Amino acid sequence: MNNTSSTAPIVAENLSRHFGEVKAVDGINLTVNQGEIFGFLGPNGAGKSTVVRILTTLLRPTSGTARVAGFDVVKQADQVRRNIGVALQDAAIDPLMSGYELLELQAVLYGIAANKMKQRANELLERVGLTAAADRRVSTYSGGMRRRLDLALSLIHQPAVLFLDEPTTGLDPMSRLTLWEEVRRLNSEGTTVMLTTQYLEEADQLADRIAIIDHGHIVREGKPSDLKRSVGDPTLLINVSRQQMDQAKLVLSAFGDMRPTAEGTLGVGLKGGAERVAEVVRALDEANIVVEHLELNQPSLDDVFADATGYRLEGADNAPQAG
Amino acid sequence: MTTTRSVGILATRSVRTIRRLPSAFFPALAMPIFNMVVFAGTFFAITQIPNFPTDRSINWYMPLGIMMGAAFGGVGLGFTTIRDIETGFYDRLRMSPTSRLSLILGPLTGTLIRVLLMTTLVIVIGIVLGARFTGGLLGVLCLYISALGIATTGAGWGLGLAFKFKDMRGAAIMQLSIFLVMFLSSAQVPLEVMSGWLHTVARINPATNILRLARVGLVNESSADYLSWNAIWGGLVAVVVMSVLCLGFALRNLQKLSD
Repeated sequence: MNNTSSTAPIVAENLSRHFGEVKAVDGINLTVNQGEIFGFLGPNGAGKSTVVRILTTLLRPTSGTARVAGFDVVKQADQVRRNIGVALQDAAIDPLMSGYELLELQAVLYGIAANKMKQRANELLERVGLTAAADRRVSTYSGGMRRRLDLALSLIHQPAVLFLDEPTTGLDPMSRLTLWEEVRRLNSEGTTVMLTTQYLEEADQLADRIAIIDHGHIVREGKPSDLKRSVGDPTLLINVSRQQMDQAKLVLSAFGDMRPTAEGTLGVGLKGGAERVAEVVRALDEANIVVEHLELNQPSLDDVFADATGYRLEGADNAPQAG
Repeated sequence: MTTTRSVGILATRSVRTIRRLPSAFFPALAMPIFNMVVFAGTFFAITQIPNFPTDRSINWYMPLGIMMGAAFGGVGLGFTTIRDIETGFYDRLRMSPTSRLSLILGPLTGTLIRVLLMTTLVIVIGIVLGARFTGGLLGVLCLYISALGIATTGAGWGLGLAFKFKDMRGAAIMQLSIFLVMFLSSAQVPLEVMSGWLHTVARINPATNILRLARVGLVNESSADYLSWNAIWGGLVAVVVMSVLCLGFALRNLQKLSD
């Protein structure tokens, strides 16, 4: 199905969604370009899924507007639905039905002609490697198989825009790689993909551009490489004993700005890069600080995230949540 | 055409669970039979009340068993919809471009097929146990219409509550409301035998009219309700009005799910 508008496939302007006093999404602006894989990155409760639910017509915004595939998500919800495919978090699949029956159901709901339905279902089953399991009840599928079926279901009507909400959460590494490959393949065929994830590596591997959302606001947006470059210096991470933490922090702060890290680790944006590591070690040694572990990391998306929000995404379950 | 196909496939999904999960359908069959047998056996002397409309207690309680089974079969759609909402499956249906009406009519059709099966089974067992359709085929037809009507009403009510509450809070209200509506009617005894507030409530309760319709072909030929146009007309109006109101309630709350 094609866009009926020359605008970008996904455009959100000043989009907000409040649940009582909680501002789950608070005035975000977003543009996803034709043919992009757009990564939407943030911890649990940051507002990612709320944005996706608005863009997929499941939830009305409190204020602001959004257009998907050229159509307004509130006023032209039906046209939006015809042009999008959605695989939501927790692959919602009726366990009493077989994979083929679910594809058949989805095909009918999307108005696919009866004579084309079987062929399309078989194509998709083959594509996601579920031909042999097509007639088995979904309750017998593994987590990876369910995700692949969910992906196939979202593709039944050849959507122009595909939403994948945390598609690999809970999957083993092998299943994750398989799904990544399929997403790349779909994108190479022209499908615009909006991918929400809390996995930095996933966003880094797949996305042409990413937006970082935190507490309902987009705090960074751009190409992963540009965002990482923007953080600047590499991060030197060291572990010392709890007693020497404050002293070590004092020493490290002379070499650059301290950066947020996981608890028990100190991080400094090392001005001058790797060449100054020896100098840092000497300074710590002179201060009689025993270094238990030291590593130098080139800027990562986690650094970008930390720079933007003040805390790290990895291990961010303790971070304050927006609901 | 697309809506018809959507209704068909959603009805198929509902009916298919009878075969896939028979343990979930069994109580819907067993309870009406149990109610009919127990009520007819326990209150067999009820027919001794002067001017009681039938001389067979099973003729009186078979429609009640069917009506209760149909009403609970109807609200059962609310239960399964709550499960679909909680698992996220309902989001998949809502994200499809099919009409919102077909999202209601499809599962409703499946529910009505289940109620047809239940009604047929209870009638067969009722006849084996001594029930007699004094009104012949018209009486049978009236009983089926009543069962399908009250099932539609229950389904609309159950769906509306499922969409409103989105979780099991709605289930408790579904059950309680069906009990109240059924028992504050002429379910157990004719209206003429009641007195006081119970009589007043039962008289305005539309379930009374639907039960009258269900019984027009099971009461004695000498009874005023025997195939009476008054009873049939009143029952049909109650069925249509209640069904439309409850389905409207369901559709309205489905549309508000995105709020």
